[in-house]
Amino acid sequence: MAEQGVLDVNDGNFESEILKADKPALVDFWAPWCGPCKAIAPVMEELEETYGESIIFARCNVDNSPNTPAQYSIRAIPTLILFQNGKVADQVVGAVPKSHLEAFVKKVL
Amino acid sequence: MPQDACDVAIIGRGPGGLQAAIHAAGKKVKVIVFGRPERSSLYKAHVANFCCFEEIVSGKQLLEAGKRQAESFDSVFVEQDIIETKSENNRFRLVTENGETFSAIAVILAMGIARKKLRVKGEKELLGRGVSYCVDCDANFYRGMDVAVVGNESAAAAGALTLLGYAKKVYLVCPKLTITDLLHEQLNHSDVKIIRDAWVKEIRGGTEVEAVLLTDGDVLKVNGVFVELGAKGAMELAANLGVVFDAETFSFIETNKKQETNIPGLYAAGDITGQPWQIAKAVGEGCVAGMEAAKYAKRLARS
Ligand SMILES: Cc1cc2nc3c(=O)[nH]c(=O)nc-3n(C[C@H](O)[C@H](O)[C@H](O)COP(=O)(O)OP(=O)(O)OC[C@H]3O[C@@H](n4cnc5c(N)ncnc54)[C@H](O)[C@@H]3O)c2cc1C
Repeated sequence: MAEQGVLDVNDGNFESEILKADKPALVDFWAPWCGPCKAIAPVMEELEETYGESIIFARCNVDNSPNTPAQYSIRAIPTLILFQNGKVADQVVGAVPKSHLEAFVKKVL
Repeated sequence: MPQDACDVAIIGRGPGGLQAAIHAAGKKVKVIVFGRPERSSLYKAHVANFCCFEEIVSGKQLLEAGKRQAESFDSVFVEQDIIETKSENNRFRLVTENGETFSAIAVILAMGIARKKLRVKGEKELLGRGVSYCVDCDANFYRGMDVAVVGNESAAAAGALTLLGYAKKVYLVCPKLTITDLLHEQLNHSDVKIIRDAWVKEIRGGTEVEAVLLTDGDVLKVNGVFVELGAKGAMELAANLGVVFDAETFSFIETNKKQETNIPGLYAAGDITGQPWQIAKAVGEGCVAGMEAAKYAKRLARS
């Protein structure tokens, strides 16, 4: 799976790709106009290369898919939510360092 | 070259930006420097460890002397903050707090560092649940709601005006407002409710922000609080250009020995690239950035 890169998800496939997935997933809620979102994108890619076998790394454009972020009461981007068995395991707001995010995903390994 | 176009634009006029201006303008390219002397970390400092100055020297004096030096090499100073950056067709576009647009072939980021957190009760707890540090990112989540913007400088003032396009009611909490007259006028003629006699004491809410408690005891019922202290910094002005930040803290801009960022034509110098926060480092990096940016601009102007 690692060669797949960060998966784009949307309101239409969020349930099948994330909530019903057989693996935990880290979803980056972002938008193209958001600077901090841009800063964190390469960190997601790096983590995907390391942990992509056991965790799904995905991103959801809040501009094109407003329903999913509303469902999780997202009011700031980037917000990164860790899902396990269809439920929110944890979440982090803002552009955080890689080490921080790495410790975060290790919680569901 | 039109008045609002230059070869090298420098954002910041602390020691890093000033030294960059001196060295870039020394290479006979057109240089414009943005920013305010009194917002430099050096402005209130008394310096004893800067090489070749044996006596304690005031930071303010150093900043004034540096400006005269840079002007003697024909650098132009614009005493405004930059509130927006863009890159298009090998040029950078910078928008000032007065809404003026400048174009540059190369840009040097020398904005220093500034405090971004309010450090009040509720701020950390309600982050992402009504507390935001980025109007540009999050305004859209507050359509039809009431919000407060907190801050005394261009980021807060410009942010409040932006939010008028989204929110129902916008408060600006700004007891020590320092912005240009033009921006001031825009604010006064807008629907922004300006609060000048109090600061934020606490952000209140359960699962989401419900109100802001002010130092004079007043309570503003709001759904969101935008903390926009100071002028826009690295994350606000550089991240959207695709700049890479340091892996460890995600606060500083990564550069190589030529002070180049990962974006061609974009350089950084001074406190903004990380510790040590010292004048000597800022001017050293500024010198290199100024020369390299001038070289880059000349090369691109020819092509
Ligand atoms: C109290 C104090 C004492 C100090 N004492 C010493 C000392 O003794 N020796 C020493 O070596 N160092 C000292 N320092 C540190 C030193 O002042 C800094 O390392 C130095 O000023 C960094 O220079 P700079 O050019 O990177 O940034 P700064 O000097 O902080 O300048 C930043 C500039 O960027 C501008 N700016 C910011 N945002 C924007 C924007 N959006 N648009 C336009 N302009 C913008 C500001 O207006 C300002 O002009 C001291 C600092 C403090 C606070």
